[in-house]
Parts: sequence; C-alpha cells; structure tokens
Amino acid sequence: MANNNSKEIIYGLYDDDEDLLKAVKAAKKQHLDIHDVFTPFPVHGLDPVLGLEESRLHQAGFVYGALGTLTAFLGMTWIFTKDWPNIFGGKPYWSVPAFIPITFEMTVLFAAIGMTVTFYIVNGLGPGVVNKHLDDRITDDKFCIAFDKSQVSAADAEAFFRATGASEINTKTI
Amino acid sequence: MNQYTFSGTHRNVILGAIVLGVLCMILTWIGDDQYHTRFWSNFLHNSVFFTMVSAMALFFSAACITAYAGWHTTFKRVWEAYSMFLIVGMGLLLIVALGVYMHWHHLYHWADEASVATDPVLKGKSSFLNKGWYTFGTLIFVGLWFFLATRLRGLSLAEDKDGDSSFSHHQTMRKYAAVALPVIGFTSAAMIWQWVMSVDAHWYSTLFAWYTTASAFVSMIALTILLIIFLKSKGYYDQVNSNHLHDLGKYLFAISVFWTYLWFSQFMLIWYANIGEETIYFKERYNNYPVLFFLNLGINFLVPFLILMRNDTKRKVGSLSFVAIVVLLGHWLDYFLMIKPGTLITRNHAMGHGHEAPAPDTGHGAAEAAGHAVEHVSSVVGGFSYPGLLEVGTFIGFLGLFLFVALTVLSRAALVPKNDPYLQESLHHHVI
Repeated sequence: MANNNSKEIIYGLYDDDEDLLKAVKAAKKQHLDIHDVFTPFPVHGLDPVLGLEESRLHQAGFVYGALGTLTAFLGMTWIFTKDWPNIFGGKPYWSVPAFIPITFEMTVLFAAIGMTVTFYIVNGLGPGVVNKHLDDRITDDKFCIAFDKSQVSAADAEAFFRATGASEINTKTI
Repeated sequence: MNQYTFSGTHRNVILGAIVLGVLCMILTWIGDDQYHTRFWSNFLHNSVFFTMVSAMALFFSAACITAYAGWHTTFKRVWEAYSMFLIVGMGLLLIVALGVYMHWHHLYHWADEASVATDPVLKGKSSFLNKGWYTFGTLIFVGLWFFLATRLRGLSLAEDKDGDSSFSHHQTMRKYAAVALPVIGFTSAAMIWQWVMSVDAHWYSTLFAWYTTASAFVSMIALTILLIIFLKSKGYYDQVNSNHLHDLGKYLFAISVFWTYLWFSQFMLIWYANIGEETIYFKERYNNYPVLFFLNLGINFLVPFLILMRNDTKRKVGSLSFVAIVVLLGHWLDYFLMIKPGTLITRNHAMGHGHEAPAPDTGHGAAEAAGHAVEHVSSVVGGFSYPGLLEVGTFIGFLGLFLFVALTVLSRAALVPKNDPYLQESLHHHVI
C-alpha cells in the first residue's frame, strides 16, 4: 500500500442489506462506477448485481485436492510396493481399498490448506498485516458503498446516497 | 398456473407405461422357471425401490420441517405427493408377504421351513426372519409411515384453506414431523433387513440399512428434480427457479457422496476383516457380476461427483437432468445388485442345483461338483446376471405406477402452498 496508490474515497453507509441491494441496482442504472461494496455478512444476490465474476478459488481447490489424491495414492503405492514392502493382515502389497481412507484425508488436507493459503495471498492477508479500511462498523452492522472520487464526482455521489437512503456519508483517503 | 391437471397426453403416456410394465411382467411369468423367480424378484425389487423412494420423500419433508428449513416450501407438494405412494407400496409388498404364506415364490431362504429346521444360522435368526414379522412390519410400520404422511399432507392442505398468522397448522405439523423422523429412521432399517437383506439370509451387515436408505434418498432427489424440470417445461412452477434446483443438485451431489461413503465403508471393513461368512456377499458379486459391480460405483459416484462439482452444472437444466437420470437408473441397478444374486442362489438351491453359498456341511463335495457342472452350462442367467429388456420394461411400468399416483395426488391441490410460514422465504430463496 504505497502512498502513490492511495485513493480518495467517498462512501455511504446503509442500515439494511435490502437498502444496499436496491442502492447498488440504482447505481448500475445511473452508470455510477462503484469502487467497492462492504458488508458484514455475505448478501445473497449482491454478486450478480455487481457483475462480479465467480471466484476461481474453488478451481484452485480442485487442483490442490487432485494433487493430494495423487500424492497420497502414488506415495503409498511406491512405499508399499517398492520402497518398503510389508504384508499387513495377509493383504497384497498393493492393497488399494486400504489406501482409500488415507487418499481421501490427504485430498481434503491439500485442498483445505492450499485454498486457505491462496485465499490469504490473493486478499493480501496474513499474520502481522494491517490493512487500511474505511470504517470499523462495516464489520458489524453497516452496509457500505464506496466510490472513487477520481471516477465519480462528490456531488454526484452525495446526491446518489441521499436518494437511496444512506444513513451516513463520509470521505476518507486510503 | 398453480393447479396441475393430470389428463390428456400425460395421462396416456403414463397409462401406456403401466400397460408396458404389466405386459413385461406377464412375459416374464410365461418364460420363467417353475418358481417364477425372475417375476417375483422383479416384483420385489421394484416394489421395495419405489416404496423406499416414497418413504424418503416423507422423511425429508419431516426433516425440513423439523430443521426450520424454508427453501423447499414452493415445491413441497411434490414430496407430499410422492409420500402418498406409500399405501400402494404397502399393497405391493403385502402381495410379496402373502406369497411367503402361500409359497407362491422362493425369494427368501428363511421362508423354507425344511431349510430352517436343519440350518443353525437360519434357526438362530428365525425369531426375526419369519413370515409373521415380515407381514407385521409391512402392514404396521409402512401403515404408520402412511398415517404420518397423510397427517402432514392433511395439515398442509388445511393450512392452504384456513391458515392464519398463528400458524397453528404448522405447529401441529412440527409435532408430527418430529415423531416421523425416529419412527421412519428405525423402522425403515428393520424393513430393509426384512425385505432386502434377508434375501441373503445367512449374511448380514450392520451398515446395510443406511446404505440402502441412502440409495433410495438419492433416487428420491433425482425423481424430484426430474419431475420439477418436467413441470416447469410445461409452464407450471414458475416460482421454482435455478436457486431451488441448485439446492436439489447439492443434495443429489452430497447424498451420492454419502452413499459412496457407506458403500465403501461396508466393502472395506468386510474386505479387511476377511471373514468368510461376510466376504461371501462381495465374492458372489465380484466374481459373477463384475461389470455391474463396478458400473454401480462408477455411475453412482463418479458421474454425480465429477459433473455436479461445479456451481453452474447444478443450476443448468441439461446437466442436472442428465445426472438425475443416470443416478436414478444407477440406484435402481444398485437395488438390482442387492436382490438378484441372493434370489438366484436361493432359487438354484430350491431347484437342487447346489449353487448354494459354500455351507460348512459334510458331504458337500459331491453336491458342489454337481453344482459346478450346472454352473458351467449357465453361469450367466438372463434377468439375474444383468437386467434384460423385461426388467427395464417392468421398471418403466412401476415408474409409471409411481408417477400415476404422484401426479393424481399432485393434481388435487395447488402446486404452490398458501399460508405456509416459510413461503416467502422460499419465494425469495437465493443461493448465490
């Protein structure tokens, strides 16, 4: 977050997610370029209205999971047939059904850890990172629409917030 | 259009399916062996399958009511209609029960008094595996399910008529739903043991009832998806949109994976413990039904797992209905694999072919040698080793009967309920 990247933001706070959803629709109709929207919980129907693309995180998750499947299955195959063949309970060296539970667990583990790490990196999160944010209350009970002042004039933004019933209008440079 | 009329082409096609089914059953009867095993095993197979589908519709309705769920409310009449098939299913299974009394068939080894008298395993199980229990369970347990189903539907219809803001109907439904869950949960297990697992009378698995129930649950969800998509294509159910289908798709995906989990749990424990009395079940299927055995796993796990993993395939009618059809046939095949091998062994035993599971008795060698001779002549038996055209025709007939009952019930009330406390939630349901 270098200083030359900082933006002047004008944002409005709404008390209700239904009001927010209506306001976002209105902004789209007026061709106001929304910088970002912040909500304390996922608001259903918001993503399609904002025109956000589906997250590709789960595609990464599939790759991580498949990697876990292969690691576990091929790993056990190599260990129990080539590296250190052992007979357990009179079963053959390559006893596939016995490998399945571990393969399953490794799939879940790889997918979970891989997706978590990817999510943190993509969103610039991590231990010790302090991210700048507009308002503390957007993590509690306020729903926020933010405009970049270089894209939308302050007068336009204020008129829009008044018309759509925002309870508060603020500006902040982040 | 909030009122479905069951007439014209729909009715004719379904009546045609029933006629085809009856015709196939008559043809099966004519070309059958002296005990009409192929006919009776088909009859049992399809009766149990659709009765369990119907019971699962009731079970899931009750589960949704108990869990304060609202997403399904717009199409809950479909499940109510499915659960009304229980009375027909009970009638069909009572015919099988009557057959046990009258010795119409040799589906169950435990029903043969001469075998029970000399067989310590069957003797030990005879306090549960007997015709009295079989009839009692079919009559009383399924009767109880049907009673609960009629109460839930009756209250739902009464709510349409004179429901108010006190939601007193829904409060009463909640009580019946809470009773229905343990009742179906426990008694369905007992009935699965009686109807299906006792086909292999020597064998048992504590997981079997769950596994079979999961199979029926997936089939119920698949049938729900297909019927809703069909009704939508005819202009009904505008209120049911891709969000509701998405949730149904999630259930199709999730319970398919759950079914696989149970299939594998049952298989792996038996494989690992390697006790002859238990492995016989899988040995029979692995050796004599290898294609169906792996096909079952492939189409009931890999197809829904790989296709329905993405969001958009659960929301698109094409991919969702494709998976629903595959999985419905797949679980019908799953029931086929549960019932047919056991009935074939019992039949061969009754006909003196000695193709019985290796029983630990003396002087077995001669019988086995004779059995092998027969086995080599006809190790593949039409209608048992694989589902033939007559089996498919019988399935279409039973499916027709099921849909005939369901659509008749569905046409008697509004498709989307009124005055349900969760109706608005369901109408505004958003998944993404």
